[in-house]
Amino acid sequence: MKNLRFDFVIHWIYAIIWALLAISGFSLISAKFGWMIGFDFKMADMIHRINAALFVLITFISIIYEVIRKIKNDDKTKPWFIIGRSGYQLFNFIVSLLLIVSGALIWICMEFNFKALALALTVHEYISYVALGSVIWHIYKKTHILAWPKKKAVNINNK
Amino acid sequence: MVQKPWFKIFIWFLATFFFFLASGVIISLLKPGPSESEVMQYMSGMMGAMESSIMGVMMGMESNQLLQNFFLLTLILFPIIVIFSLIIGFVLRRKNSEVKNDQ
Repeated sequence: MKNLRFDFVIHWIYAIIWALLAISGFSLISAKFGWMIGFDFKMADMIHRINAALFVLITFISIIYEVIRKIKNDDKTKPWFIIGRSGYQLFNFIVSLLLIVSGALIWICMEFNFKALALALTVHEYISYVALGSVIWHIYKKTHILAWPKKKAVNINNK
Repeated sequence: MVQKPWFKIFIWFLATFFFFLASGVIISLLKPGPSESEVMQYMSGMMGAMESSIMGVMMGMESNQLLQNFFLLTLILFPIIVIFSLIIGFVLRRKNSEVKNDQ
């Protein structure tokens, strides 16, 4: 536990928050999706909004961390980090920002601006499909993590 | 850490969760419907959420002047912070590339 790295911890907290956001968010899309959470939209709404706040917080902390690294000219690769300057990390950063901005618009515009609400809902929904697909691809690319460590063969003759 | 059995089980659980979720989304998108009972359950579920969830609090924002002012302030601050952070980002990139060139 002593050697726990910041990027590693952030990665798995982010994964748990993402999982909760995904199950609650997708079930809220329409009547066809409601079965995924047993049509308990009160719970889904509560889970989605609380985790959305945590999602924004963790993304904000990651951005601050990355900015500090940039100021210190630290170019070390952080393989577990959720955002970065290239590849899947950059893709995740852009998708997270799009989800946060569209989600905030949905939250704010619910009572005021229905055109903005409709646009934000559409963007939020379709970006979520892309993000879910990318998570599946990400798991596929990192399947070596799922492999169990091989047990060392015991030589009976040497005993 | 990744090699510990309990952590392996956690990773397996999370990976399986995402595969089942993706399957659920595909099934929901491609299945016929929604049926009348699904629509009724959806409507009553949403009404329940509006009455006693955070959604309800947001729906009552029209009568809450303090909350409205707060959101107005965040909306004004948002583009300013974005533009400001973009400028800082470009300045830092330039500065760092100059340091690298000097080395």
